[in-house]
Amino acid sequence: MAKILYIEDNPDNATLASKILTMRGYEVLWAQNAEDGLAMALENLPDLILLDLGLPDVDGQTLSIWLRGEATLAKIPIVVLTAWPEEVARQTVEAYELNGYLCKPFAMDSLIEAITTNLNS
Amino acid sequence: MPIEIIPASRYTVQELVNLYNQTRVDYLVPMPMSVERLAEYINAFDVDLDSSYIARADDGQVLGLGMLGLRPPWAWITRLGVLPVRRRSGAGSALMDAMLDRAQTLGMQETHLEVIRNNAPAHRLFLKKGFKEVDEYLVMRRAPHPISKPARGKITWLDREAALDALATYPQHLTWITALDSMRNSPDVSGVRVEFADGDSGWLVFRYHKFFLSHLIFHTEQGSPGRIGIQLLVNLYKRYPRHDTYAENIQVDDPHLTALYAIGYFDNFSRIEMRRKM
Repeated sequence: MAKILYIEDNPDNATLASKILTMRGYEVLWAQNAEDGLAMALENLPDLILLDLGLPDVDGQTLSIWLRGEATLAKIPIVVLTAWPEEVARQTVEAYELNGYLCKPFAMDSLIEAITTNLNS
Repeated sequence: MPIEIIPASRYTVQELVNLYNQTRVDYLVPMPMSVERLAEYINAFDVDLDSSYIARADDGQVLGLGMLGLRPPWAWITRLGVLPVRRRSGAGSALMDAMLDRAQTLGMQETHLEVIRNNAPAHRLFLKKGFKEVDEYLVMRRAPHPISKPARGKITWLDREAALDALATYPQHLTWITALDSMRNSPDVSGVRVEFADGDSGWLVFRYHKFFLSHLIFHTEQGSPGRIGIQLLVNLYKRYPRHDTYAENIQVDDPHLTALYAIGYFDNFSRIEMRRKM
């Protein structure tokens, strides 16, 4: 069972996605801020990280640098979930060398597709 | 619907954070805050919680909030937001009226604010309240990556005091968040100055955090802003190669923009500065 760490400050978003992903057979961990996200990633070594860019302590871009800077986490695919316009999301993913993005609101099928694509690559 | 306006100082910072984050769940630019970030924001930008307000419905439900910064003779409206389910209730307008009344009572001569481009409802509200557009600014980002360009020129690193001295000579308008007062309120201000043999020179003042740099202000004293800007940034990133950067409120016609793009910055969004005489 693939383990997914979802770093998202909004409990409603996290609960909904967690329910759906759990039903699809994924193990989902949830961190509500960047600091917890880094700690949980180091402790649990997830197979994939879903990262909200708007976090309350430091933003997702800076957190992605922390994650990439840890040897044990550096190769874990990171998919960004964001309310930014698509062009900004695309540039962010490119500049921070992340693996993909989904702009909110997105269909759950798109989320599943992004997860399976990145887990399989 | 009757709306009660209550000073924000009656709430804890934690309660203000909770409310603020709820007002922004569907915002154009996602920017939730933590208690630490809001406390720093209040301090850095001279937000007066006695002059900032919460809007509450007669059933007791909190509807939204707005904050007022004070630097006589200027006031600054910020963090205005209404819960998504309670929009179009008049809460935003009531909060604006309360803050403008307060600014007037305190003798402020002008109130400033910034609105994100494409935030049409807020923009309309501000126009309706008598604000006029003044200028447009970019918020830009740069991910850390190696700099291949060579560093040139004589470099002097400026400590906090020297950086603030340089900023005090800045000849143009700065928005509230990059203004000298904001930087004075921040403990982490630094700067760098570059000087070439031909006499060209300039400086960059910024805020330094453990993981990122922010609040960049460039000034070319003599020479080409493109050349000066590139050398300031090259030297900055040779010193801080792993730092993320968030550059707020760079004027859309800032002559150093070409240098920013050349060093890998990209636009996140833009803000329109608006002002209203009292």
